[in-house]
Amino acid sequence: MNETPLWASESFWKKMAIWVTAGSFLILVVLTMDSLSKTNAGSKRVPAYTVINKKIDYQYDKTLHKSMPIIGENEFLFGKEYTEEEARQWVDLGKKTTQAKNCMNCHTLLGNGAYYAPDLTKAWLDKGWISRDMREDMMVKFLMDPESNARTYGSNRKMPNLDITEQEAKGIIAFLKWMSSIDTNGFPYNFKTIEAEE
Amino acid sequence: MIEPVALEDFFITFFSSALIILAGASYALLFAWSKVNPNFRIKIAAYISYAILIISVAELTQAAQFQGYWLIISFVMAIGYFFAPIGIWHLCVKTHADQDLIKIKEDI
Amino acid sequence: MNTTGSNGVMQNAAAVYEKSRASFNNFKAWVQLDSTHLSDGRQLAVKYFTVAVILFFAQILFGLLAATQFIFPGFLYEILDFNVNRMIHINAMIVWMLFGFIGSVYWFLEDESGAEIVGLKLGNIAFWVFTGAVTLVVLVYLLVQIGPGKDSSLWFINEGREYIEAPRWADIGIVVVILIFFYNVVATFSKGKWSGIAGVLTLDLVALAGLYLAGMFYMTNITHEQYWWWWVIHLWVEATWEVLVGVIMAWSLMKLLGVRRKIVQTWLYIEVALMFGSGILGLGHHYFWIGTPEYWLTVGGFFSALEPIPLVAMVVHAVYDAGTHAFKNGNHPALAWIIAQAFGNFFGAGIWGFMHTLPQINIFTHGTQWSASHGHLAFFGAYATINIAFFYLAIQQWRGNVWMGGGSQNAWRWKWALGLLNGGVLGMTIALLIAGYEQSFIERAVEGSTWGGYFTAQNHPSFQHAMGWRLFFGCMTLTGFILLVWDLLTIGKGETRKAPAIIEN
Repeated sequence: MNETPLWASESFWKKMAIWVTAGSFLILVVLTMDSLSKTNAGSKRVPAYTVINKKIDYQYDKTLHKSMPIIGENEFLFGKEYTEEEARQWVDLGKKTTQAKNCMNCHTLLGNGAYYAPDLTKAWLDKGWISRDMREDMMVKFLMDPESNARTYGSNRKMPNLDITEQEAKGIIAFLKWMSSIDTNGFPYNFKTIEAEE
Repeated sequence: MIEPVALEDFFITFFSSALIILAGASYALLFAWSKVNPNFRIKIAAYISYAILIISVAELTQAAQFQGYWLIISFVMAIGYFFAPIGIWHLCVKTHADQDLIKIKEDI
Repeated sequence: MNTTGSNGVMQNAAAVYEKSRASFNNFKAWVQLDSTHLSDGRQLAVKYFTVAVILFFAQILFGLLAATQFIFPGFLYEILDFNVNRMIHINAMIVWMLFGFIGSVYWFLEDESGAEIVGLKLGNIAFWVFTGAVTLVVLVYLLVQIGPGKDSSLWFINEGREYIEAPRWADIGIVVVILIFFYNVVATFSKGKWSGIAGVLTLDLVALAGLYLAGMFYMTNITHEQYWWWWVIHLWVEATWEVLVGVIMAWSLMKLLGVRRKIVQTWLYIEVALMFGSGILGLGHHYFWIGTPEYWLTVGGFFSALEPIPLVAMVVHAVYDAGTHAFKNGNHPALAWIIAQAFGNFFGAGIWGFMHTLPQINIFTHGTQWSASHGHLAFFGAYATINIAFFYLAIQQWRGNVWMGGGSQNAWRWKWALGLLNGGVLGMTIALLIAGYEQSFIERAVEGSTWGGYFTAQNHPSFQHAMGWRLFFGCMTLTGFILLVWDLLTIGKGETRKAPAIIEN
């Protein structure tokens, strides 16, 4: 009774703690390298930034049991086709602006953030922009002057004016368009895009 | 591949998930208690908790539409939650094997 | 004219200074705390605790402002918008808990190592630098708020990334402060003696500081950015912080209840194995929907199902201890808060976590008030409680190790503070749960997460009511907090009985 067996001894559990931690961490590192390589911009899951030159949709795939981004024919942003470098710069400006304006503490991006305002993951595809022809213009106006162009849906919750310049607004739109093309394993579920027939 | 929970199964999913953890913990608690205090009724209560856990796991498996290798999770939960408290109990006994009673010195 | 004007200002300033000094002295005379009861290391620890309590207040205050905006969207619109309040709410939480942990480690460092803190002066400087930097960051959050879409905004205003919004300069500052703290820990143990607790603590701090670096880079690719961002948040909160609490608990169990070192350390190792074994790959449950490969659904689901195992281990162990020994304890509030920790951790992390973690249901609950519900109970239950327990341990020693067990004067205060704080947080959690349930139902499942669907859910009466209840319980939490501070300042004042000494067996 007074003998401590090996499996209950301090030294055994010390080694266990070290091995379990090291083992889990090693697996995490391997998975991380794999995940990062599979999600480079330009990979199958995360398209290249030039995807902003294309039409994007999000449709339910019956065989995969989830909605998948569909990248279609040319559909230029602001009527212009961008080179790889130009596209990267637009998306980069937009991404940086969403951080500098602290968007994430009201909105969610890829479902992460705060819950005071709608998710932005598929914002580019949202029906709220009425039609594809009006979308770009409406988005620029909304971002630059959200007070007068408020989209409150009866909630009285208005986005504040964040001093977004026209350049920054276009960057944000490019970023949102690119983000909507990421394969998010079917999140959000059951999303009906602006392209969908009523 | 996953099959998202159907709308009508939301509640049962949340409820059975919560119940798994709750029943798992109460089984652990009652099991440990039955060891400290060898009372037949406590032991029965422990096994009832475990039965609730099994039912919850079955409910969750259905509601969350587990299929293929996802069934491993149900299996691991059913087996794991049964043996974990037993293993941990033995670990408690053995790690405390040479412990004397606690001495408290009153200063005043 | 001009000189008289400036003279007047000077006189006014001097008068204000005199007045505040006098009231500070009055305050000191009123609390009757005698710092000679504390070693130099512990005096440093209580400084950290003091700032932690102030930041705890900031957390509650800005949480209430944000909660009010859910009900009255016009409240402080374009003055202190929701994003500012919410940012300070969650940042204050992270920082007050860090302050609490650092304070707790300084509290037991000398005792555990058997040596005086090596770099006490450095530690004090680091404390003031840290506190000053936090103040500056908050002032910039409040007064500047946002910047243009340039790198300079991320360096000097905020990085706009939930939980780790602190601008880059502050990131670097945090790493430096943590390194100084790390140096103090390692050097002090090296001077005195090492122990299993010391070893786990040291390795854990390496991980804590190292992981923070993963969150210090700007990336255009949002999938990569959120990937590393979760490394910091998840591996801090669900791995290294848990182990840090394990270390603090291990030491407390020895000192508070006289459990033997060998047992405590064996169990610390067991907990490390269980927590890191389930927690590190449990990271997968944040990689379901950010663009990362599908295998994370399986990895995340599987390890999330394992994450309650350490909690089960604690339950069994607690019963074993309670059944085999009779404990006598001279600090009831601390013990009560440690019990609250056990329950809070179990419900918040265990039950609330598992309810919405499997991808089959998480696809509907991700990014709704579900997360907020889980977050409130889990952070409070697992971390706020243990810090408050330590505040009570500290105040007991600060008073000269007086009796704080049964039959203390004004015991109603700590009991009510305990009840109001726990009741308040639990109430908010349940209100947010109802809101999240409704949101996942209407916004996510039925309306498919469009903007229209989002607002339909937000406007729904059940959501609106839930937000009202959340504010109500938030006010209850604030009441509990005020009572807690009052109690911490007065408990043990005029108590002459000493606490019983507990000897390690």
